[in-house]
Amino acid sequence: MISIKDLQVSYRLGTRTIHAVDGVTLDIPDGCIVGIAGESGCGKSTLMKAIYGDITSPMHLSRGSITYGLKSAKGRQVTAQNIREEWFKSISYVPQSSMNSLNPVIRIREQFIDFPGTDSNKKRVLERARAYMGKLGLPPEAMDSYPHQLSGGMRQRMMIGLATFFQPELIIADEPTTALDVVVQKDILMLLMELQEEMKNTILVVSHDMGVHYQVTHKMLIMYAGRVVEYGDTDSVFSDPQHPYTKMLIDSLPTIGDDSMRGLMASAAGASGDRAYRVEPILHEVKPGHFVAQVAAAPVAQSVGA
Amino acid sequence: MGALVYIAKRFGLYLAVLFIGLSITFLLPRLMPINPVDGYIGQIQSRANGALSAEAIAELRENLENLYGLKGNLFTQYVDYMKRIVFSFDFGPSFTYFPQPVSQMLMAALPWTLSLLLTATVIAWTLGNLVGLVAGYFHKKKAASILEFVGILLYPIPYYILAVTVLLLLAYVFPVFPLSATFPVGQMSWEKVGMIIYNSLLPGITLVLAGFGWNILSMKALAVATTEEPYVIYARLKGASNWTRMTRYVFRNALLPQVTALALSLGMVFNGALLTEMIFSYPGIGLVMRAAATGGDYNVLYGAITISIIAVATAGLVIDLLYPLLDPRIRHK
Repeated sequence: MISIKDLQVSYRLGTRTIHAVDGVTLDIPDGCIVGIAGESGCGKSTLMKAIYGDITSPMHLSRGSITYGLKSAKGRQVTAQNIREEWFKSISYVPQSSMNSLNPVIRIREQFIDFPGTDSNKKRVLERARAYMGKLGLPPEAMDSYPHQLSGGMRQRMMIGLATFFQPELIIADEPTTALDVVVQKDILMLLMELQEEMKNTILVVSHDMGVHYQVTHKMLIMYAGRVVEYGDTDSVFSDPQHPYTKMLIDSLPTIGDDSMRGLMASAAGASGDRAYRVEPILHEVKPGHFVAQVAAAPVAQSVGA
Repeated sequence: MGALVYIAKRFGLYLAVLFIGLSITFLLPRLMPINPVDGYIGQIQSRANGALSAEAIAELRENLENLYGLKGNLFTQYVDYMKRIVFSFDFGPSFTYFPQPVSQMLMAALPWTLSLLLTATVIAWTLGNLVGLVAGYFHKKKAASILEFVGILLYPIPYYILAVTVLLLLAYVFPVFPLSATFPVGQMSWEKVGMIIYNSLLPGITLVLAGFGWNILSMKALAVATTEEPYVIYARLKGASNWTRMTRYVFRNALLPQVTALALSLGMVFNGALLTEMIFSYPGIGLVMRAAATGGDYNVLYGAITISIIAVATAGLVIDLLYPLLDPRIRHK
């Protein structure tokens, strides 16, 4: 279990300090997929970096603590201080840009062994990795190719493969499907879910796509302005969101045949109260060169296009 | 199989470039309104105070036209010119050092130029890239900016000032090297070779210093940009060591444009380094070309231009054959 207490992560920019993550307290249970959502700049990625232990200037932990319920291969307790030694051993990472996260000029098999992994016998690692390709839905020869010889989907499978190959207990996936088309996205997510089912590791998935979260995650974490605004089981969060921001995020999911967005806009616009609206408003010029869709009930001088 | 087809195609292109280059070299001077034979006859006639008979002039003209490949119409001249260059690398005799053949003059000067400039260019490239790589990879560290400073300091110094300064420092203030070097010619012995190497060190050092700065700066800029690439960031997050990331990730990728730059500068080496050769009285091809340009020695100039064309085209061929080995993305299947 990962336990985060009152975590504040800041960026020092000259004399200014920005708290990108500001007082987050959180318990992540073992063996579940946690989805993290929130607008750009809400602190999702900073929180992920802090958990992964990738803290480089100007980013720093200014308050609070992260406790990993993890043990290294040598039986040592993993802490925020020695987490870097556990990279791609008990904690791993799936990057956002699968398209160019592999070195273009060296073969993929080399990229399985060019870091201090769990096994120092490189030959054995390669043999096992080759056998592992089948599980990723890739031919064993994919190991011997250069990145440009694989499609985007295959490359992202490879990234998932690299992240899961050493059977880490925690995987952080920062928008793992952003650059892929919808069909490939689904395959990748299914692969991730399958592997998680088997290995029972904890996965943190950052995504802007509420549909992805709904399909994949067990728990949902909604962030806003550096804080956690809602955290709970995915079913519960989606069916009964409590925070207004969560409600808006979920409402932003389009549904076929759903007119609620139209209703939402109408009611939001109606809340201003000074103009009447109906289902089919017409564009009117309110100031010279400035048009608004509006119903003719209000005192409107001239209409456009008429 | 595919590789062979690629090499064959590329080689065909190489021959085509040479052919076009040689044709232009042939054509350009013949488009000029001056006839060198007329000029030459005029010179001789004025020296003889117009005492030459019409028959003697006709004979002279005939001989000169034969000698310089100016006989017949443009087409027969062209065929003749191509035959002579392709089969015997013959550019005719030099005007100034008549009757010494041009190819002999060039071949005597080329080894000097090549040994000095190739060595200096390769050393400057290697050192500059290594320093630039370290400066670029660790660009966030203050100590690394000292390395970049070396590049910024060296790059803008005009070569003649750099060369004269080094000459003053290492031959006059601290007389490590001779102020005016002599380069023995003729039969080589170990002693002579040692002397040549010793005397070539000073011009070599100035050339390395001059090429060094540019290599540092360009490699540094490439390395800085490459360290921000997602694959380098991902390698860091995998826990790959600084050494692995710097050599296998940043260097291998930043190297590609630098290889192009190296091959192109090696192609230019054949033109010689005029200033170096003048300052250090080094018997290279630059001095030969300078003498030919000031003395109107057309044949020598044609020869030098032809060697230059061959060199640049060969450099291009070498890059194109080498590049697929370095960058798998353009490897031909």
